[in-house]
Parts: sequence; structure tokens; C-alpha cells
Amino acid sequence: MRGLAFLGVAVALGSLVACGTTSENRSGGPASNTQCKGAGGKYVIGMSQANVAEPYRQRMDDDIRTAAKAVPQFDVRFTDAQQDNSRQVSDVENFLTQQIDLLIISPNEAKPLTGVVKKAYDKGIPVIVLDRKVEGDAYTTWIGADNVEIGRQAGKYVAEQLLPDGGKIAEIRGLAGSTPAKERGDGFRESIRGRKIEIAVSQDGDWLREKGQEKADAILKSNPDVSVIYAHNDPMAEGAYLAARAAGRQDALKFIGIDGLPIPSGGLKAVEAGRLSATLIYPTAGKEAVEAAKKILVDCQQVPKTQTLKTQLITKENAAQVYAKENSGN
Amino acid sequence: MDNGVASLVGLLRISKSYGGVRACHDVDLTVRAGEVHALLGENGAGKSTLMRVLSGDLTDYTGTITVDGEPVRFHGPADAQRAGIAMIHQELDLVPGLSVAENIFLGREPRTPFGTLDRRAMLRETGNLLRRTGIDLDPRRHVGELRTGEQQLVSVAKALSLDAKVLIMDEPTSALSSAEVDRMFAVIGELRRSGAGIVYISHRMDEIGRIADRATVLRNGSVVAEFDARDMTADQAAEAMIGRPMRAMFTTHENVTSGEILLEVKDLVVPRARSGRRDPAGISLTVRRGEIVGLAGLLGAGRTELLETLFGAGGRWQGSVVFKGRSTGRRKPRSAIRAGVVYMPEDRRISGLALGHSVLANTVLSVVDRIARLGVVSRRRETAETTRIVRDLSIKLASVRDPVSALSGGNQQKVVLGRMLLTEPELLLLDEPTRGVDVGAKAEIYQLLGQAAQRGMGVLLASSELAELVGVCDRVVVLRGGRDVAELRTSQAGEAEVLAAAMGEVVAL
Amino acid sequence: MTGTDFVRSRRESALATVFRFQSLFGLVAVFIAAIVFSPSRNGELLFLTSDNLFNVVRAVSEIGIIAVGMTFVILIGGIDLSVGAMLGLAAAGSAVLLVENDFGLVPAVLVVLAVGLGFGLLQGVASAVFGIQAFIVTLAGLQCARGLARIWSGGQGIAIPYGDGPGEAPVAFSLLGERTFNGLVPIPALIFVVVAALAILFLRGTAFSRHVYAIGGNEKAARLSGVPVKRVKIAVFGICGLLAALAGIIHAGQLNQGSPNDGLGYELDAIAAVVVGGTSLAGGRGSVVGTVAGALLLGVLNNILALNGVDTNVQLLIKGLVIVVAAGLQQLRPST
Repeated sequence: MRGLAFLGVAVALGSLVACGTTSENRSGGPASNTQCKGAGGKYVIGMSQANVAEPYRQRMDDDIRTAAKAVPQFDVRFTDAQQDNSRQVSDVENFLTQQIDLLIISPNEAKPLTGVVKKAYDKGIPVIVLDRKVEGDAYTTWIGADNVEIGRQAGKYVAEQLLPDGGKIAEIRGLAGSTPAKERGDGFRESIRGRKIEIAVSQDGDWLREKGQEKADAILKSNPDVSVIYAHNDPMAEGAYLAARAAGRQDALKFIGIDGLPIPSGGLKAVEAGRLSATLIYPTAGKEAVEAAKKILVDCQQVPKTQTLKTQLITKENAAQVYAKENSGN
Repeated sequence: MDNGVASLVGLLRISKSYGGVRACHDVDLTVRAGEVHALLGENGAGKSTLMRVLSGDLTDYTGTITVDGEPVRFHGPADAQRAGIAMIHQELDLVPGLSVAENIFLGREPRTPFGTLDRRAMLRETGNLLRRTGIDLDPRRHVGELRTGEQQLVSVAKALSLDAKVLIMDEPTSALSSAEVDRMFAVIGELRRSGAGIVYISHRMDEIGRIADRATVLRNGSVVAEFDARDMTADQAAEAMIGRPMRAMFTTHENVTSGEILLEVKDLVVPRARSGRRDPAGISLTVRRGEIVGLAGLLGAGRTELLETLFGAGGRWQGSVVFKGRSTGRRKPRSAIRAGVVYMPEDRRISGLALGHSVLANTVLSVVDRIARLGVVSRRRETAETTRIVRDLSIKLASVRDPVSALSGGNQQKVVLGRMLLTEPELLLLDEPTRGVDVGAKAEIYQLLGQAAQRGMGVLLASSELAELVGVCDRVVVLRGGRDVAELRTSQAGEAEVLAAAMGEVVAL
Repeated sequence: MTGTDFVRSRRESALATVFRFQSLFGLVAVFIAAIVFSPSRNGELLFLTSDNLFNVVRAVSEIGIIAVGMTFVILIGGIDLSVGAMLGLAAAGSAVLLVENDFGLVPAVLVVLAVGLGFGLLQGVASAVFGIQAFIVTLAGLQCARGLARIWSGGQGIAIPYGDGPGEAPVAFSLLGERTFNGLVPIPALIFVVVAALAILFLRGTAFSRHVYAIGGNEKAARLSGVPVKRVKIAVFGICGLLAALAGIIHAGQLNQGSPNDGLGYELDAIAAVVVGGTSLAGGRGSVVGTVAGALLLGVLNNILALNGVDTNVQLLIKGLVIVVAAGLQQLRPST
């Protein structure tokens, strides 16, 4: 009987080898628009998302979906790595097996995804990297925003608009160890340097609304003299607002966040409703990614290696207007 | 015979079989108002079956039950309770996580006019009931925190709350102190005066003499004697319970009484008493090579605890245990087996066998690391060993790779015995080795024990079956209340003497 | 009656055989289904390309190695929830040792394996000696391992560059992300196959394995039969921790990074593989063969769903159903 069991595994594993036929490596080397078949072609695009559980990334997928509808040649397939580097590597490998014509990837983390992105690029598949970068230059184009710059603008807004005479602020940071958290913090510090603004307390909120609330709750007790709360994203800023409201101090404090997602639960609406004083748009780059893909595959044009998207300060004055504009394409 | 006293409940020609095995046969029994009726019999004599019929727990019997002279048919315990019959079970049916009050009113909680739980009424009523029962307890305490004796009294209080006309009590004093027994008897006296009838099951002859008016003895499912309890002697009762001896079942081995002393236990005490059980409170005994020594005693006398302690499966103990001339300290089962001591636990399903695993895996378990070379078990060798055991013990099976659960009870027990014998032991400790085993397999197990003794092993055999003890053993040590109270040579003493000693009438021989 | 008569197995009904090797049959069935539903390009079935098949084995190798260790723990009637966190601890620890402490490859690997083994043994002691339920011990272990990983790595994912200089890991470590035999067979898949084969042999013929099964079958009977229950239990948790650490090293090598957050939720994937593989959560019944088949089955399923572009959310649904069906089929197993 155990013989049979052994045999079973042997057959299963053996068949993995025996049935296999080596797939042909397509020539091409680094992407050089060899994929371009013009307007008459049909293209399968693989979109590898790091984690759609984050509203920002869900919106990125939605933006791509919306923009791709306007390009009849495109068929976009989506995967979700659920915040797991290994899973995202497998997702890309599966795309390669499917012989996609172009890869869009929003990497979970830079280093772990570098290898598989390079593998795709070396096979001659154009690669558009969104938001987080990968290492090296084995990709076609990177589209994203500059988190340091966004942090700078947030600092500038606080220094010039909210606390022109100086004061104490609290910072609720993104997930410890993540690049955006570092950059949004660094940029912010850069612009308040030399002013009479003190970051009295800084806590990790892990990008989560409930964490933001919890940390703000503690901050309000330990540092009652804080007058502005700067959160690394809108959900944490909203959480901080809730904590302040529970303490009856929501009017005495100002809250600012980042992301400004044009969705009903996003930062634009929060600013419009007056819960947040301001937010800074962190563009999803979804629309721009499809535009780049169209240039590469359909228009046979070159695209720049790096496209940094501009942020925009959102206050009560322009929130409603930007919201309407961002959703006009739908 | 009725003396004009009203019969509350009558059982007429009650019979009940379990798959061809008669548990009760044509039993007649009456319970009169204001009497305590003792029910006596060995384990398996049919007492519990009869009481389960009366309390509505068993519904597929033949015969008639009458309540106040009217024939009735119960379809469940609730029916019986409505007719005024309540039972206090030996295995207490209380919920440990609920309070005393919640237990007593479980399923019939008093309500306020708003439909919510009337906690105050519940606590008040419970307080009254507890006072009647004579215990001082906070009704809000969780039953799980109570001692077994206190739990028993809570059960009595619960039964009182039912206002039963007939109350069945199955060994109600097994975990009570003598002061608590006195209080319980006061409650029983009060109930008797108020006109209730009580069926009282106990093994304690002294109690029966104190409290009972009449006694009925069951043997093999039938009524064999009725006594006026006040002038019944323990000897009379024991003889009635046992009937004639069944010596034919036992193949006697050559009595070796001059073998060297293998095991000598002196003043063994297990101090940390687990709830409700009397752990060894000073036991001394010896076992010689080639000798089968019986351990007799009622439930809770300390037999299992003694064996577990000797095997190293129990808790801390004090006293002296000398095995093969060497004093033994605290040890684990593994080292006991290495030293040559093996143990057959009381319940093979719970602690003897992995039922889903093969006969082979179960048989070689104790020696599997000994027949392995560099940790790798030789398949040939383990199969050979198992096959030898199967043949020596004539275990009936289709294949040693079949799961043990496919075997009959007797053959399962032989697998446990085979596992013990494979370790080449010198002392066998056995706890109820023939429980749930058919007669044929019983005789075979006795024969195997005899052979083991003949080969020079010592055997210590705990059993509740008197016939087995007297038939198989050379000597029987009788335990009561955690002490050895008598030692009887089976060549000179019979079942009656053993039972009498176990129940508290020390027989001098 | 001769001795050999007892040895021959009763003839099993065809059905009983199917149930006994349920997970293997399941694997073959899913494999065939994958071929049938495979998309094709230029007349070539994409699923059957050797590249893809090895991708499947590579993708399940980490979970597979963890699941092998989990099989031991579940066989004794326990569970180990800490393996995912242990993977993160091992991955982060590998990166710290190689990059920040400039350990050599062998010392770094040995230290990390020792940490995994030691952590597992500690959990075993807590469970076996102090009698705390395995679920609770390893739930606490999960938290502790994550905490340790964050402390060890300073809360950061640590990228692993390769080279000979200070702050660079030995190039040999990057082999974990490479393929051998003409760039065909991923190294992690190879390690997985070796670990599985060793575990299969180990769980068949050794006295230790008999003790493992006996404890799962009836712990009390095992103890009374002289099985060193505590020692075996502790060892089993040690093995599980060791294998989780091995998976963590592979993880770091494959991704060129060790992060304390790695392996989030892997314990559940491993338990799923064990369960689909026919090992009973009650203990005492199951096999590593089944677990390997279970892991591969889930891997093939993942792969074919992805190749067909099935929506990720629908994929989760289908995987959930497969796990329930596999567990349900075990309930139908003729009870013996």
C-alpha cells in the first residue's frame, strides 16, 4: 500500500517534468517596442496589484479599468497579491505564462519584486511600474508621485496657513519601515525646519483608520497642547478627528491628511465636509498608465523612463470641484 | 403483606433485555408510603436498569408500573417526574458552570410578572431547600467549586424541590463525611414522616441497617430474596447477592506461596485527595513471584489509585514501595515498564488503546523503540512479534493491520495484555481486566494470568467481581476507605467473607 | 493458521482505497481539470509548459515545507499557529545576519535554523510540560515571533544585496532564487521535494513516528504504554519550528529581502494543505504524502485559476469551497 502512495507522488511530481515542454523564449531583450502592432492589434495587459484591500489601490485598479475601456484593443487582467510579496511574484509569473503583451505592476515592495519584473522585461515585455519603484532599471517606465514633495507641501501648508505663529503638532505615521511613511515624514520636516513648529509627538498608525483613532486618543491625553494633527494618510486623519470629537475637541484642532481619493469615503469628501482642513492628492497613476500603454503598444511611441505626477493641495475651496472633475470620466 | 399501608408505586413483572442479554427478568417491587426500601445486588445484578425503568429513563420494557394503583406508561423522565417519581443519580447530573440556585431550578426558573427571571425568589427558595437538606451553602456559588459531597447534597435539595412522592437514591452517601451522612439521614427521616417512599441503593450494610425498613436483593436480573432490613445480617445479604459460587470458570494454577517477594508496599498514602475519592490512606501488601493477589473493595476504596501509584501514573505519594528488593521512588510509566512493571487500565477505550490504529501498532507500542535499530523499526520484526502475541493469546482477527476497533471487547483486552507481555514484565497490575468481556474471553484471560504466574511473574488484580477474585487469586487484599482492612486466603475464604469485609464487617479468619 | 495469515490486509473495497489516497486522487483530478481548462497559445497548453509546472512547485514550496512540519504537530492532536510569524522571524533574521552582521552563509543559516528549532522546542515545553493548549501556546508564540522579528530587524524590511564586501550577502544565498538543471528547476522546489521525501521516510519506519501517531490516537494510552509523551511532543514542535525557519530562509533568498511582516497568514495556508491532504485535526491519522499532495493540489488550483484570469475574489471563494469539500469527503470515509 505504501508503494502505491510513493508511486502516486512520483507520478504527480514526474508528470510535472515529463508533460512539460519548454516554452520558447521570445527574442527581444530589453523592451524596444517590438510589441507594437499598431491600432489593428489585440493586446492582453496584466495588472499586478499589491493589495486591493487598500482603498487607494482599489481606486488605482478602477482608474485603469475605466481608462482601458476607451481603448478597444486592450484586455486588462487584474491580480491581487493581498500584501504578500511571494504571491505577487507568482502573479507575475502566471502573467508571463499567459504571454501577456504588457505588464503593469504596483509592487508591494521594491526589492522582492525586482527579480520577477526584470524577468518580464528581459523577455521583451514592456513593464509599467506604478507608485512604488523597483530597483535597477529593468522596466520601461515608472509613473508615480513624489512622496517627499507631498510631505514638503503638507509642511508648508501647516507652517504658512495653520500655524503661522508656530505651535505644537502631532504626527501619525504610516506603517513603520515603509518607504512612503519615511518620505512623507522627511519632506514634512524639511519644510517646517526653522519655523517655530515642534513635532511634539509622533506615533505609528499603520495606515489604518482605527489605529489613527487609537493613537490620537492617547495623544490628546498626553499632549493636550497640540493644535494640529498631521497624518500620513486620510483614513488615519479621519480616525484622529473621531478621537477628537469623542473628546469634544474637534473644533479646537486641525487635521490634515494625504491621498485625497475621489471616492465617497475618501479625503476629498472629508475636506469638503470640513472634518479635515486639507489633504494632498496622491495620484493613483491608473489613467496615466493606460495612456503610456497605449503609446507603447498602439502608437509605437517611446515613453519617458520616469513620469512624476504632480500633487495638488485640497482645501475646502476646491474639494468639491476636484471631486467632480476626477469622477467625470466614469 | 400490605399491612394496609398504601403502595405508592408498584413494579409488576418488569423485564428488560439489551440485545439478548437479560438485565431484568420478571421483577416485582413495591414502594410504600413512608418507607425506605433498600435495593441490593452485585454490580450488574440489574439494580440500575430497574431504577432507570422506574424513573422513565428506559421506555422499552415489558411489565407494568402502577402509581397509586393505576397502571402508567412513562415516555421519558419528565413523565415520571410529573407522576411524582424523582431520581438522584450516582453520576451527578448538575451543570458545573451554573450556580446552586440555577441548577436546582434549571428548566423551571421562576418568572416575574414581566417574564424576566425572578432571581430573588430563586435564591430564597434555594435557601429554604438547602436549610432543609442541612447544608450551609451560598446559593450563588458555582456547583463546579463544590466538593463532591456538597454536590450530592445539592442533588438531594433539587430532588426535594420536585416534591417527589417517590425518591430513588443511588449510592447517595458515597462521597459524604459521617456528619453529612447524619444530616442526609435526617432529611430522609423527614421525608419518610411526610409520607414519601424512598428507594435506597447502597453497598454499605451499616447504613442499610440504620435507615432501611425493607430490603430486596437482586441477582442476575431477578429478585432472589426479600428481608426485613432491621433484622438482616451482612452475611445473609452477601450470600443472597452472590448465590452459588462459579468455581468452574477458573483454571487454578499451582499455588506458589513460597516464591520470593517481588513487591512490598508499606503504608502507602496518596495525600492529595482528589474530590470524592478516597485515595490510599495507608495500604500495605506484598506480592510474591508466581502469585496472583486480588484487590477487593467497593467503589472509591482506592484500588485504581493504588495501581496507578505503583505504576507511576498517579500523583505524589508517601510510604515505601520495594520492588525486587529495591526501594522505588516516584517514577513515570516509561521507567516502570523498563523496570518490569506493566499496567492494564480500567477502561481500555479511554486509556488503553488507540482504537482507530491497527492491532499491530497498538501491540508493539511499548516495545517499538526496543525493536528499532538506529530509530528505524524493522517491519519484519514487529510483524513477527505481533503475530506471536496474536497466536499465543489466540486473538481472533482477520489481519494485524485491521484497526483495533474492529475487534470484540475480549480481543481488544487481549491486545492490551499482549502489549504488556511483549515487554517481558515481572509484575502485572490489572484493573478490572474482564470488564465488558464475554464469558469465553474471560476464561481465556484467567488462563493467561495463571500462565504468567506460573512463569514467575507476580500479578496484582483489582476487580469488583467477587467470583473472579475468589476464583483466580491466591490471596485477596480487601480495601476500604483507602486502607487494607483484611487479607483473605481464597483457599479458606469465599465471596461472602470478601464482601463482608469490603462492606465493613471485618471477618477474622 | 500460520503467522503470515494475519499480515495480509483485508481486501479493501475500491471505495476504501479511493478514500485512503483521497488527496492523491484529488491532486490527479485537479491536474486533469487544469489540463482541460488550460488556455493555449499557438496550440500549446500553457498549463503544461515546464516553466509553468515548475512555477507551481516553486510557489507552493514555502507553504509546503511549513505544512510538512504542521503535519507532525497536527498528528499529535496539536496545532501550530506561529509558523507564519516564525517564517517572518527567520526571513528577517537571515537578512540581519547576512547584511548587517556580516555572517557567512553557513553560520547565518545555522543560527536561524537554531532559532526556529529553539522557538519550537519552547512552545513544545509550554504545551507538553505546563499543559497549556497548543492553540493558545502558539497563538502567543505568533505574537512573540512577530515582536522578536520586528525588534531584530528594527521594524524594517531589510534588502539583501550580494557581493563580497561588508553589508553584502554571499552570492551563494541568491541561489535560493535561482533555477538549476538548465534554469529549469527552482532551488526552493528542490528543497521542498527533499524535505518532503525525508519526512515521508521518517514518518513511516521510525519508532519516533509510531510514538507520534500513538499520542494523536490516544494520548493517555500512549503514556501508559511507556511512550515518552512529553519528549515526543516537544520534539514535534521543535521540528515544526525548524521547518518554518527553513521556509523563512528560502523566503528571504527568493525575494532578496527579509521583512518581519513576511509570512502573514501562512499558517492558515499550511493548515489548509494539511487538511486537504487528509490529516485529521483530531490527531493520529494522516500522512506527509497527503500533505504534499494537498499543497500541490492547492497550488495547481491557484495556478489554473490565475491562468484563466479568474477574478481574485472568486478565486478565494473557489479555494474555500475546495477545502470544505476535501474536509467533507473525509467525513464520508468508511469508519473502521
